[in-house]
Amino acid sequence: MASRSSALVRPPAFRGIGRSILLTLPMALWSLLIFTPSFRQAGRNQHIGAAAVILFMTALFFLMMRTGETYRWRRIFFVALGFLFPVGFIAALVAERGTMSIPISRMVSGDTPFCFMVTPSIILPAAFARTVIFPGSILPTASNPHSIAIMIGLWFALTLVMGKAWCSYACFFGGIEEGFAAIAKRRRLHRFVTRFGPQLRLIPWAILIFVVLLSAAIFEPVYCMWLCPFKAVTEFPAVRNVETAIQMGVFVALFVGLVVVLPYLTKKRTQCGFFCPFGAFQSLFNKINLFEIRFNREKCVDCGLCQTSCPTVALSKDSVREGKTLLNCMKCGACVDACKKNAAVWHLKGTPVAAKPERARLLFLYGTWALATMFGGSVLANGVHTLIGFLPLK
Amino acid sequence: MAALSFSASAGEALVLGLATGPVCLATCGPVVVPWIMVQPQGVRGHSRQLLLFLAARLAGYLVFACAAWLVGSAIPHSWTGRSWLMGGIQILLAAALVVYAAGWPHRRCAVAKTTANLVQIGEAPVTKRSGALALGFLTGINLCPPFLVAGVRAAQLAHLSAALLFFFCFFAGTAVWFIPFLSLGFLKRTPAVVAVARMVAVLLAFWYGFSGVSILIERTFHG
Repeated sequence: MASRSSALVRPPAFRGIGRSILLTLPMALWSLLIFTPSFRQAGRNQHIGAAAVILFMTALFFLMMRTGETYRWRRIFFVALGFLFPVGFIAALVAERGTMSIPISRMVSGDTPFCFMVTPSIILPAAFARTVIFPGSILPTASNPHSIAIMIGLWFALTLVMGKAWCSYACFFGGIEEGFAAIAKRRRLHRFVTRFGPQLRLIPWAILIFVVLLSAAIFEPVYCMWLCPFKAVTEFPAVRNVETAIQMGVFVALFVGLVVVLPYLTKKRTQCGFFCPFGAFQSLFNKINLFEIRFNREKCVDCGLCQTSCPTVALSKDSVREGKTLLNCMKCGACVDACKKNAAVWHLKGTPVAAKPERARLLFLYGTWALATMFGGSVLANGVHTLIGFLPLK
Repeated sequence: MAALSFSASAGEALVLGLATGPVCLATCGPVVVPWIMVQPQGVRGHSRQLLLFLAARLAGYLVFACAAWLVGSAIPHSWTGRSWLMGGIQILLAAALVVYAAGWPHRRCAVAKTTANLVQIGEAPVTKRSGALALGFLTGINLCPPFLVAGVRAAQLAHLSAALLFFFCFFAGTAVWFIPFLSLGFLKRTPAVVAVARMVAVLLAFWYGFSGVSILIERTFHG
C-alpha cells in the first residue's frame, strides 16, 4: 500500500511559484473576462458565485502548473461540476414549475431544454426525414434559451478542441460518479473489472448503435425516454401510467447502479466507461483531435499502474505495448500522473513522442481549461449562487 | 385499358415505395445492421446476404398482399386482430434476434480474425441462410406505416394479381434504399465488431419483446 501511494505522489514542486503564477495569469484573465457580465447583474449571490468560480478555476489551474499533476485537480473541478449542476438545475425547475417532472404542455410547446446526450440519436431522422426528434426548439426562445442549435453549436466547438476530453472536462454528469468513485478507500470488484473490462467497454458502442437505429425507427429519442440514468437527478416525464412508471424505475435503477454503487465499489467511472452511448460517439472525435496520451516504450516497464489508475478502462496491455491508449481515452491524465517512470506522456499529434510532453500538456490544458471555465464555470456559478440562496443570510 | 391501369398502379406502387423508403430503412435498419455486421468482411458476401433478406422480405410482402386483398382494407384500418398480429410478430422478431445473436460469436469469431488477413485457418465459415430469411420475412410482415398505406391501396384493387404486382413494385421501390447497407461490407471484422453486433441484437430483442408484450397486454386488458 505504501509503495502504491508513493508511486502516485510526484515531486512537491514540479515548477517554481513565480513560473506557475506566470503560466496561470492568462487563465486568470480569461476567467475574469468570462465572468465580468455576471458582475453587471444586480444579485449579490450572483456576484459571490462568479467570484468563487474565478478563484476556484484559477487556483486549480495554478496547482496544475505548480505540481505538474492534472488528474487530481481536474477531478476537484469535475466533481464540483457534477454535483452543482443538478443543484442549479433542479432549483430552477422547482422555482418555475414546482416539480422536476416535465408537463406534457412543455413538451408540446417545445420548451424542453436540449441535452447534448441526444445528439447522436437525432442525426438519422434529421438527415432522412428533416425532423428533429426532440421536444425542444431549434432556435433559442425567451422561455427556452438552451435550444437545439445553441447546445449543438457549443458541443461541437468544445469537441473540436477537446475531442473525447469532453467527458472529463465538460460533461456535467460524469462528475457525480467520479465523486462516488473517489469516496471509497479501496477498490473492491477489481478482478471483475480486469477480467471483463475488454467486453464491458464494448457496451457503450452497442448502446450507441441501438439508440441511433431505434430512435430513427420509432421517431423518439430512445436514450432520453428509456435509458438516461441522469433523468433521476434532472427532469423526467411525469409518471402518469404504467409505461412512465417503468421508465422512471429504469432511470432510478441505472442511476443507483451505474452512478452510485458500482463507481463506489470499483473506483471506476462505470456509467461513462461501460454504458454511456454519447461517450462512445465522442470517442470518434479522438481521431481528429490534436492531443493524445502516448507511452514512451523506452521508459515503460509494463508495471500496469496506468491500467489500474484509468477510470474508464481505456488502456489494455496491448495498447500500452503499442504505446497508445484505446479510442475511448478521455484524457483525464490519471495514467500520466500515476506513472512512476514518466513513460505516460501528453502528446501533440505530428510531433515525436515524448519530445516535449509538458509543452503538449500546456497546450492541451490552455485550450481545454479555458473552455471548461466558460462552459462548466457558468454551471458552477449557477450552483453556487443557488446554494447561497438556501442559506439564512440577510 | 386494363394494361394501362395495371401499369399505372405499378408506377404508383413504385413511387410510393421510393417515397416511403426512408421510413422502411429506419424500420428495418435495427434488424439489418447487426445481422450484416456479423457477416464476413466483403461487399460480395454482404450482397448475397442482403438479397436473401430482401427475398424473404418480398415473400412477407406478398403474403400480406394476399391477406389484404382477401380480407379487404379492414386489415390495416380496424381489424381487431391487428394488435395481436403486431404483438406476435414483434415477439417472434425478438426470439429470432436472440437465437441468432446467441449463435453468432461461436461461428464467426475465428472467421472474423482470419478474413481480415485474407488467410483461412481451420474450417471454412458456414454461411447461415436461415437467419437472413427469418429476419427478412418477419420484417416483411411487420406492419410499419408505409406498409399499411400500401395495404390499403392493394385491398382496393380488382384482382389478386394486381394486389401482388402492387406490393412487388412497392417492394422494388423500397429495396433501393437498402443499397447503403452494403457499405457495412467495408467495415473491418474483428471480434470486437462481432461482439458489439451481438449486443445490439440482444438489446433490440429486449426492445421488440417489451414492445410486443406491451401491445398484447394493452389489447388483453383494454380491448
